[in-house]
Amino acid sequence: MASSFGSINTALTSLYAQRRALDVAGQNIANVNTEGYTRQRVNMQSQVGSISAAMYATSDGIGTGVGIADVSRLRDEYQENRGRTEHGNSAYLTAQSAAYSAIENSFAEPNDTALQAQLGQMWDSWSDVANNPKDGAARSALIEQSSTVADQLNDLHGSLAGQWSNDRAQMASYVSDVNTTASTVAQLNDSIVKAKATGLTVNELEDRRDVAVMHLSELTGATASPRPSGAVDVFVGNSAIVSEFTARSLQVTGAKRLEEQSGDPVALRWSDTQQTVSAGGTMGSMIDTMTTVIPGVSASLDGVAKKLVDSVNALHQGGYSADGTTGQDFFSGDSAGTIKVAVTDPDKVAYASTTATLDHSVADQMADLGSSNTGPDSQYQAMIGQLGVSAAASTRRNDIQTSVTEQADADRQSTSGVNLDEEMVNLLTYQRGYEAASRVLTTVDSMLDQLINRTGLVGR
Amino acid sequence: MAVGRVTESSIHSAVLNNLQRTIQKGQQIQEQLSSGKQINRPSDSPTGTVTSMELRGDKRVAQQYARNADDGMGWLNTLDSTLSSASTLVNRARDLTVQGMSGGTNDAQSRAALATEIDGIKDSLIGYANTQYLGRPVFGGTTTGEVAYDPTGAYTGDAGQTTRTVGQNSKVRVDVNGPEAFGTGDSQMFAVLQGISDSLRSGDSDALGEGLKKLDSSSDIMKNAHSDVGARYNRVEQMQLSAQDRLLSVTSQLSDVEDIDLPKTIMDMQLQQTSYQAALAAAAKVIQPSLIDYLR
Repeated sequence: MASSFGSINTALTSLYAQRRALDVAGQNIANVNTEGYTRQRVNMQSQVGSISAAMYATSDGIGTGVGIADVSRLRDEYQENRGRTEHGNSAYLTAQSAAYSAIENSFAEPNDTALQAQLGQMWDSWSDVANNPKDGAARSALIEQSSTVADQLNDLHGSLAGQWSNDRAQMASYVSDVNTTASTVAQLNDSIVKAKATGLTVNELEDRRDVAVMHLSELTGATASPRPSGAVDVFVGNSAIVSEFTARSLQVTGAKRLEEQSGDPVALRWSDTQQTVSAGGTMGSMIDTMTTVIPGVSASLDGVAKKLVDSVNALHQGGYSADGTTGQDFFSGDSAGTIKVAVTDPDKVAYASTTATLDHSVADQMADLGSSNTGPDSQYQAMIGQLGVSAAASTRRNDIQTSVTEQADADRQSTSGVNLDEEMVNLLTYQRGYEAASRVLTTVDSMLDQLINRTGLVGR
Repeated sequence: MAVGRVTESSIHSAVLNNLQRTIQKGQQIQEQLSSGKQINRPSDSPTGTVTSMELRGDKRVAQQYARNADDGMGWLNTLDSTLSSASTLVNRARDLTVQGMSGGTNDAQSRAALATEIDGIKDSLIGYANTQYLGRPVFGGTTTGEVAYDPTGAYTGDAGQTTRTVGQNSKVRVDVNGPEAFGTGDSQMFAVLQGISDSLRSGDSDALGEGLKKLDSSSDIMKNAHSDVGARYNRVEQMQLSAQDRLLSVTSQLSDVEDIDLPKTIMDMQLQQTSYQAALAAAAKVIQPSLIDYLR
């Protein structure tokens, strides 16, 4: 037979448990809008009396109340992993399509003021020279228009180089962000493991760690895997950036300007081993943009500029100008960044195939370059077409990935998000439980009152 | 959506994502409406962009052909009117020569008067032969000089040709050089006229008859050149018309590729606005109620 006061204790355990459950529901409601918060649930467990058989055991086999087994985070590790992967992919594609869109904006085709239109006006100027080779004004206009084309090519190269440098600077700040976050994760691992060892519940710390890991996933495409101790290892590529309590750091090395990229490619490396990191996410995308996308577009643009320089110079060298000079280059330079008009004197513009005449066949051939299938214009058009295809593909992939990511987030939310209706019901349930436990206490109390104060008073 | 459990924040983000998508679509339509273009960047339609760039190139080339043709017609017009005036003078010279051959004017004084008039005609013809268009002698080939013939009637130009590109691979010659219009050697117009004038002064009627024959043959050369100019003028005019036609058709093709269908885009805009408002209204209804409203 249990102690007379055992029932008071039973009711007390219930009061404690319901109170704790109400606290947790309150915590859930308080964090309904907190990013990364995982809803918690109190797992109650009935307490068992002594079950070990003994000679003087007094247990009657009825339990001795209720206890809180644990407060669990309702989170599905599979969904979290999927969420990290999808967020990493999404961050990669978003950054790619942003990079393409910046490139497209600097080319601004199709437009009446873009390079294609300026090239056209330059060929028209050659036609004007052909129509009136004697007119110095037509030749001055040609030099001006050609300078505009050269300037525009310089500007395009400049904006690509600028985009590259911005990415490079951005990369440095992302690297320090990643390094800080990784050491935060390692510190949290330490705190969590120590707390768990002493039996404390540290759900909020785990939430903070998950937010930090998600941040790493978005920046580097990192994946995570939990340890039995409660720590989480984080991997970028195939190497661990956080291994239990230690974090490694990244650094970005290589070229500082687009022009140096081909000689000393920019790379993301582990600070300790100097191995390259195969990152995904925003940083992976920026590395790809800096090593592939921008250099590719820049090389195509250089190709167009070189084609322009070569084809114009080849004709110009064979022609004679108003003052009889021949064999001169019209353009100098061999890339989009270096192209310049070499001729400054209108009298040095070659238009004739024979000296000291107003023959205009060279100028005519120049004008024909504009509509040639192998000329710089068609090469430029092919390049813009290619850029358009790549940009459209990256936008489309990004759109698809965005909805996949939203789906994954919805799945995660459906498990770990707070539903207010549910919490209201919990509040009611635990409140009623609390009330009922109080009633038990009152009942036991009046029972004892009966026993203590009113028993043995017969005939008084 | 096979989501078992629905939470406030999942409704929230779903609603936000949907609203975001609708408003993005709205922004796209708005951009198309305000720019009037379907293609605002290459990724809007890579093939459309390339087509549009090619068509813009074609449009420019067609415009340039039309301008070249204008200039060519200027040259040919100048040649035409100069040669017309020149033939009138040549006819007059022939009349005078015939007059000099006929018996009535045998006295040296009247022959000298005829010779003087012939000399005048020769000088006028040299003046015509030095006609300029935009500062260039039109009969001078590609000479850089100011004149095609010096005052004695000797050709100072060259055999170079001036052409105008009036179509794809179509270059039309727009000049006639001196020898082609006024002959060379024995039948060179100015030498012939000088010979006639000399014959008139010397009274050599045989030489005068010979001179008349030569004058006829060089007049034929000039007439041939004149009719050639007319034929080329027609060709340039034809090519200009075809360049203008091409310009029209390219412009309309370009508009097909680039420009928006205004009624359709406005309808899309309306639809988008309606669906955005509906989404907003629905969001307001879905998000608001909660069990909290009903528990006391």
